[in-house]
Amino acid sequence: MNGKTEHNCDTLIVGSGIAGMQAALDIGDAGFNVIMVEKSPSIGGKMISLSKVFPTLDCASCITTPKMAASSHHPRVQMMTYTEVKNISKKADGFEALLIKKPRFVIESECISCRKCEEACPVYLEDEFEYGLGVKKAISIPFTNAIPQFPVLDEEKCIRCGACARVCPKDCIDYLQKPEEITVKAKSVIIATGYEITPMDAKKEYGENKLINVISSLQAERLLAPHGPYGKVLRPSDGKIPDSIAYVQCAGSRDESIGVPYCSRVCCMYAIKQAMLLSGSLPLSEITIYYMDIRAFGKGYEQFYNQARAMGINFVKAKVAKISEDSQHNVILRIDRQEEGSKPQEVKHDLVVLSQGLIPSRKEFFGLDVKLNEYGFIDSPAKTFSPALTGIDGLFVAGVASGPKDIPDTIMEAGSAAMEALNYLKTAKIS
Amino acid sequence: MKVNTKFIKEVKKYGAFDISACFNCGNCTAVCPLSAEDVSFPRKMIRYAQVGAEKEIEASLEPWMCYYCGECSDTCPRQAYPGEFMMSLRRYLISKYDVTGISAFFYKFPWVQNLLTIAIFAVSLIFFLSYTGDFQELAEKIEMAFPAYVTLAIIAYVFMFYKKTIMDKAGKMLISFDFKNIWETLIHGLTQKNFSSCSDTDWTRWIAHLLVMSGYTLTLIISNLHLLEPLRIHYGLFDISTLLVFYATFAILAGGFVMMFRRVVKQVQSSSFSHSTDWLFVVMLFLIGLSTFATHTANMALGPDSDTVSILYKFNIAVEMAWIVIVVPFTKWIHIFFRPMAIYLRNLKKEKQLV
Repeated sequence: MNGKTEHNCDTLIVGSGIAGMQAALDIGDAGFNVIMVEKSPSIGGKMISLSKVFPTLDCASCITTPKMAASSHHPRVQMMTYTEVKNISKKADGFEALLIKKPRFVIESECISCRKCEEACPVYLEDEFEYGLGVKKAISIPFTNAIPQFPVLDEEKCIRCGACARVCPKDCIDYLQKPEEITVKAKSVIIATGYEITPMDAKKEYGENKLINVISSLQAERLLAPHGPYGKVLRPSDGKIPDSIAYVQCAGSRDESIGVPYCSRVCCMYAIKQAMLLSGSLPLSEITIYYMDIRAFGKGYEQFYNQARAMGINFVKAKVAKISEDSQHNVILRIDRQEEGSKPQEVKHDLVVLSQGLIPSRKEFFGLDVKLNEYGFIDSPAKTFSPALTGIDGLFVAGVASGPKDIPDTIMEAGSAAMEALNYLKTAKIS
Repeated sequence: MKVNTKFIKEVKKYGAFDISACFNCGNCTAVCPLSAEDVSFPRKMIRYAQVGAEKEIEASLEPWMCYYCGECSDTCPRQAYPGEFMMSLRRYLISKYDVTGISAFFYKFPWVQNLLTIAIFAVSLIFFLSYTGDFQELAEKIEMAFPAYVTLAIIAYVFMFYKKTIMDKAGKMLISFDFKNIWETLIHGLTQKNFSSCSDTDWTRWIAHLLVMSGYTLTLIISNLHLLEPLRIHYGLFDISTLLVFYATFAILAGGFVMMFRRVVKQVQSSSFSHSTDWLFVVMLFLIGLSTFATHTANMALGPDSDTVSILYKFNIAVEMAWIVIVVPFTKWIHIFFRPMAIYLRNLKKEKQLV
């Protein structure tokens, strides 16, 4: 481990998704200093990888990138990317956090983001930003609109051929970089760690992630995104344009057998949104959504759902019980269709999207003694009127870390967390 | 048809509890390996119950197609336990096909059945123990009376089952002589191979069930035809009767033990919810196996004149009395006949295009 640095700030924000950025901007604008920590190489969180948002069909990056730019250029917001929070402890005068800055193997102060290293690198890897649908180089900038625009070298996959170092005009490739320990002293902390989607192999009846043409909802987002991996919608097994696409609702939530009995609140709407976008990009394809019940509960959501129906998207009330495939990797769904008399039947689709649910991104919150609900989300002691409170003075929560919610709710809650934090900074007796 | 929302409350008395939680997503039917186009369950059955389609339920073969592997209950998004609902429906149907109406009463007031069983056992035992005449002769009379009683019960049930599922729908008697159908019925009746259709075959359950079924059927034949006379004959180890008794009792004891154990530990869906009649059923079976075995080994060791043999034999006949009189005609015992019959009738319906 190399060097030790110490920082002070008013608020430490863990996570830089839309919740973290919103809270950081609100607190920074109010005149307090913020450090925003992000474990990935770029800020932006899950939202920057989405195609469009419901129910307005606004482009997701068009909302996220300005926020990313604003928080990275904000004079009172300091971002620490590619940095893991190891531990946060409550002290008498606030919080003390131990962070580990992971090595990019690039000297950040020198790098001019010219991407020469990326072009020279001969090693291709699965691109995690595209959820495995595309490839990247062993040294690469995470994605086109990433902030900061520094490349990251994959330490394990790099063959140390030296190609990147030879082409780098600034000579800033450093194979010997070590992780750095950083200590941050903060008066308050906001947790905005977000979510992961239910693993694709969570439900044994759904093919255990072995069916190539069954993709996750986030993969579908990438297929639909304008800057996505193929620029169009193709199915993974043979690159064919799918003629029939199905959405399996409640694939990763409302299911006691996989331990996620709660409703994830966003899957109905994102499936409807994706179906709409698909019918735009593949006008000749059949799109079917298999659902238990459609939960379109926000402002304008019901209209959005009705619009999708009017556009010719098939909504079939049937919970998909089993998923398998035929020899051409076409996906077979087993359902009990309620129209035309009840009977079990098998239907074939070229491509199937599992509407996976939202689960907490971590099991434990940095050693903080914060109360979690039975599903692992942070439990607010005053859910209905102060959702950002955590029960620990000076510690606040925003976004999906406290339970599944959509983007508008997340942004609103992030504002609320910022307000709570500001209130705390103004009134609490902390030096 | 008029919607009858009270009907589901009636079915719940037979063990189904939160089936009203069902919102008809159909996951159960689609996940079920035995559900098919002509026999679609559990959702269709649940729907029938929810709207109170009593006639449709009574005319259904579906409940007898379900082998309760529990996959539907495991994956039900509403925790409505469709598998247990199917089990309750079988209990309900037995009581509906029972012309006397006694099964319905016993299912709703199981303690009456338990008390009556104990009472008949106790009275018989006291009477037998104080009987001074030739007990072997009395036992013969009792055992010869069993088949008449049981046959009567079976005929009544089988007729009602046939009437409700076929005659009421077709308006006439229909019979299939198709060899393939009869063969399939026999195979399923003897091997219960539908147990293996569930995605993870529960071998223990299948074998235990098969053991109990075969052991019990053998005991039924042995006792109802009065093949054993332990107070008259001294049996040797290699007599045919000894071998039959040993197989039958071993099968009942081993299978019965496994079944009871699983009902206690409740690791799988099918044995998680025990109706008190289920307990009566396995405990009585177990006792029959145990007392038959004890009588027979005592006879082999001590000879027919021993007092111990006499007491054990009297105990054995007393248990059988209670079993035949109270348990057999009024519990799920009749499913031995209903299950293969349902397979026969399903093929019959297909053959005669009766949908």
